[in-house]
Amino acid sequence: MHVERTSTLEVRTSEDVVKVRQEVRNRTAAAGFSLVDQTKFVTAASEIARNTIDHGGGGIARVETIFSAGKRGVRLVFEDAGPGIADIALAMQDGYSSGGGLGMGLPGAKRLSNEFCVESTPGKGTKVTLVRWKMPKL
Amino acid sequence: MLDKLGLYTAEVYQQSRDDIIKRQAQELLELSTPVVELWDKILALPLIGTLDSERTQTVIENLLNHIVKSGAEIAIIDITGVPTVDTLVAQNLIKTVSAARLMGADCIISGIRPQIAQTIVHLGLQLDVVSKATMADALALALKRTGKIVSPVSSKPQ
Amino acid sequence: MEQIPILKVGRCLLVSIQIDMHDRLALALQDDLTHKLVETRARGVLIDISALDLVDSFIGRMLSNIAAMARVLDAQTVLVGMRPQVAITLVELGLTLPDIKTALDVDRGLALINRLIDEPDGSDRARGAH
Repeated sequence: MHVERTSTLEVRTSEDVVKVRQEVRNRTAAAGFSLVDQTKFVTAASEIARNTIDHGGGGIARVETIFSAGKRGVRLVFEDAGPGIADIALAMQDGYSSGGGLGMGLPGAKRLSNEFCVESTPGKGTKVTLVRWKMPKL
Repeated sequence: MLDKLGLYTAEVYQQSRDDIIKRQAQELLELSTPVVELWDKILALPLIGTLDSERTQTVIENLLNHIVKSGAEIAIIDITGVPTVDTLVAQNLIKTVSAARLMGADCIISGIRPQIAQTIVHLGLQLDVVSKATMADALALALKRTGKIVSPVSSKPQ
Repeated sequence: MEQIPILKVGRCLLVSIQIDMHDRLALALQDDLTHKLVETRARGVLIDISALDLVDSFIGRMLSNIAAMARVLDAQTVLVGMRPQVAITLVELGLTLPDIKTALDVDRGLALINRLIDEPDGSDRARGAH
């Protein structure tokens, strides 16, 4: 597995969320993702970026284009030095009511990604890694 | 050098065979999820086979694109050809219905066989969408909903 | 600061969301809409999202809030123009917006709102939340 391209963005303000979305959009489009897959992953990025600000006190996002076993993909790493998540299992449960409101956005983002990993230490910070691969087309 | 050429040729051959297989798989997937424009503003999706997660994605994409193209307001999803309805299939059906609804189209599920009706109740599945036994019933409802009346042609001699 | 324009069209207020919204803009829109609803006594709100290539949970919540506020002010809300890839993503996210009525485009949306305003108890032709 190797990283073809990487960029790091600040995630502190709501304008930064817009920038993260644009960067992920550009990368997934460049990697040849279908429009639906692009939209899914950019939305996942948006969810986690917001989390980083709302729950993590702000942090950074690393956007990487990766290549592994003949597949190209985009990997996102969101890191903050915030309070951390005390109960990851709980945070990963669907907090969404049918009215679509509460919850930390983690389970939703996971569903929109191919690979998803949350590492968190209470008091130290949180790191969320998401990967989406380009699906082989016809 | 000749060895490399031989290997390259074999790889290209293999790759094009793989491509053909992938393309055929995709075509098969699309063929088994046809969308029919039944009437003005009414679409029908006769589903054949199991509704797994991957298939559901194709079904939803297909359906939504057709809704945009045809301006349909009602989609009849016929599950006569779906062998079993378990929790997963029910979830996938609900996903499809929800997606269509976000695009302004209501769904009607038709083709509910007696065993399916029983399974749905036994599993406590909440389908939350109008369902009918036959597509004919679903079409009748869809016509009513889109403000159409079907009436016999007058047979009075002229 | 930029503002999202709200137009009066007949008995409705039409909002066309064209840009990537950040928090302040979203809050300003909700505020603006509630004020205009009271001012104009409009009976419907038509939200056009055909220019949005993405709707995340934040925007989803904003849309739900707008519908809820409109309801309190006795106005119907209809969301129009959702792109297929956005609908697919929202469903995957688990955000099905069951409390908002939808239509394919502005024309149909206006027709739906007028129907809803004139037939509030919902005939067979009513559509929307189940």
